[in-house]
Amino acid sequence: MKFKTLLLSVLAVLAATAATAKTIELLNVSYDPTRELYVDYNKAFATYWKAKTGDDVVVKQSHGGSGKQARSVVDGLPADVVTLALAADVDALATNAHLIPADWQKRLPQNSAPYTSTIVFLVRKGNPKGIKDWDDLVKSGVSVITPNPKTSGGARWNYLAAWAYAKHKYGSDAAAQKFVGELYRNVPVLDSGARGSTVTFVQREIGDVAISWENEAFFALKEFGADKFEIVVPSISILAEPTVSVVDRVVKKKGTAEVAKAYLEYLYSDEGQDIAGRNYYRPRNPAIAAKYAANFPQLTLVTIDAEFGGWTKAQKTHFADGGVFDQIYAK
Amino acid sequence: MKTISRLGLALLAATAFIHPLTAAPADSAELQALRDQVNALAQQIKVLSRQIEIKEEAATAAAATTPKITVSDKGVTLASQDGANSIKLRGLVQLDSRLFFGDGGGVNNNGFVLRRARIITEGTFAKNYSYQLVPEFGGSSVSILDANIGVTLDKSFQLKFGKFKSPVGLELLQSDSWTFFNERSIVTNLVPNRDLGVQASGDLLGGKLNYAAGIFGGVGDGGSSNNADFDNEKDLVARVLASPFKDAADSSLQGLSFGVSGSIGREKTAAGRTSGYKTDGQQTFFSYNSSVVSDGQVWRVSPQADYRNGSFGAIAEYVVSTVNVRPTATGAKKELQNKGWQLAAGYVLTGEDSSYNGVSPATNFNWEKGTWGAFEVTGRFANLKVDDAAFPLFASAATNADEASSFGAGLNWYLSKTVAFKFDYYQTHFGFNAAAPAVSGTQILRQDEKAFISRFQLAF
Repeated sequence: MKFKTLLLSVLAVLAATAATAKTIELLNVSYDPTRELYVDYNKAFATYWKAKTGDDVVVKQSHGGSGKQARSVVDGLPADVVTLALAADVDALATNAHLIPADWQKRLPQNSAPYTSTIVFLVRKGNPKGIKDWDDLVKSGVSVITPNPKTSGGARWNYLAAWAYAKHKYGSDAAAQKFVGELYRNVPVLDSGARGSTVTFVQREIGDVAISWENEAFFALKEFGADKFEIVVPSISILAEPTVSVVDRVVKKKGTAEVAKAYLEYLYSDEGQDIAGRNYYRPRNPAIAAKYAANFPQLTLVTIDAEFGGWTKAQKTHFADGGVFDQIYAK
Repeated sequence: MKTISRLGLALLAATAFIHPLTAAPADSAELQALRDQVNALAQQIKVLSRQIEIKEEAATAAAATTPKITVSDKGVTLASQDGANSIKLRGLVQLDSRLFFGDGGGVNNNGFVLRRARIITEGTFAKNYSYQLVPEFGGSSVSILDANIGVTLDKSFQLKFGKFKSPVGLELLQSDSWTFFNERSIVTNLVPNRDLGVQASGDLLGGKLNYAAGIFGGVGDGGSSNNADFDNEKDLVARVLASPFKDAADSSLQGLSFGVSGSIGREKTAAGRTSGYKTDGQQTFFSYNSSVVSDGQVWRVSPQADYRNGSFGAIAEYVVSTVNVRPTATGAKKELQNKGWQLAAGYVLTGEDSSYNGVSPATNFNWEKGTWGAFEVTGRFANLKVDDAAFPLFASAATNADEASSFGAGLNWYLSKTVAFKFDYYQTHFGFNAAAPAVSGTQILRQDEKAFISRFQLAF
């Protein structure tokens, strides 16, 4: 009887273990340059979640131009979470498909932007064209690489940073529009995303300067050699706030709401913030930001809210069909 | 690409021009200007190459989500890139001419008939869910012929729900477009046509054994459901078909399939079990009295075989159909057993393979090129015998035949896979019950039926 009882107990424990331990799969639909960040972060989160719950988490990544990625999710790509380049692209999930609530940005700290970045210039070693600030980008004979704002979140930050500089320097929206128009006349290739632009500039050796995410510029230096490129920090740039959200309707259907929420919350943890800093994103946590301060030069950063009245207005004015960008680029 | 080539040539020309200059020192400013020009041209080539690369990347990305559209002799198909979702449009139009000879002239049976006119919609969702919707616009009224949903769990187990052909008759299960003759044989009178139900089917043993089994509402001989089945009685229907030599490439038996099908159930309906048995010429030679009702067990059994060997093809089937009927709602019950058989064969004169799914001409008919498509000759013998006990209580011996024996000969001209002319001659001899008068009360039964039926068919 004792042996029978023991055997049954062992079987019961094994059965209970088998029944509770499970593998959960998440899909993180993100923008172009976050590949390396989320490779690191997914490993860390999987370890954290396993220790906390005993469950395995496998996070699949999808990357592309932020706007294009948002449209894919709206069209049915079953993302558990989105980690996109800007709030307007996440907004599209609420307004175009009701996949998330309209107030999604209030659900996580810092308007659901766990790390920030900004826009800098990447030039060839020695800066042969002497690029120092935005004005140098509109000079004749300077070839500028930036992606297409219609499909890329980074490109929209690039565009708005240039606009903000010109408006501050020349005093009006009309002058800013003229300035940005001249800048885009120096752009020979419009890639669909930021990583594509990096390929164009770094690997295809096209252009004199690439307007780039700060983290992407560091990535180019790290991957392709600091002896080949250098970063130029303009006098004014923009505080880029990539935003994240759980996709409510997808996680409800898949039963992954708890782990998806934890996945995004963990971005604010010390480890999550440290991984962001290591991958050249500016951490929100002041202590961890201080640890990586040497990587991030201080410069004047305008904000989307103060300078452009928020993403909804900026999107409608500049990037909607028939908006200012279409008028500029049609010329 | 032409632009790139032109720029490349310009770059080569400029490089060639610089080379002698460097060999013979010249004005350094001019040399620098030329170097700048070469660099600018090189940069332009890179830009153009990258633009092409981006376009190709965009096209590749778009291709992953762009639906595939296929237009062929099998219809029009729109499918997702992975093929999991599709919609296919097919059609069938058959215009017949019927001519009857030597029938005394008192019957208005010669003429044109739009035998079938169908727009067939079918396809899949999420790979494993299929559907089919077939309205029939031919004949005298519009009806829903097939409307069903399939669920494929495995090749060996598929489910079908809705209205579709009941799996009993061999020739009946063959597509209307591809039978040897314009009209199926008289034995098809004894098997159910389309019915409402649920069926499981699949291929076993690597496709050497096919099975189908289902529960259906139950319809009378040759009948189809009218889209509703409110009685409490149901039929169990099953069929197994073996193709044991399927993989024996060198065997003359490779194309042999044989099996047996059957149905069993109970029926209690206010009408007889058939609206009438028809000849090859589609004239009714037997029907029950209008007061006859079905009450009790019904069953059918049908051994059957199909054989294909190159250009030669043949089918054979035998059907026994048993029904319990009463002459009136309160009359005494009687079990009647009607039997039929057929043997039909075809030979494709132009050498193409005979197939259960039709003949595919090696070349299409083309007057200018002198190609003629495919020609097939066909022959058939068939017999249907009504139970002697049906007379006189359940059917009038004076106005019905109790047996029909027919032979047919035909020529099918496949102008292409989709377009065909079919010419058939049928002759049917009638037999009568001992109680029948010397001269039948029905005009068409007073002599053998001699019918020439030609058809122009579009099937895709």
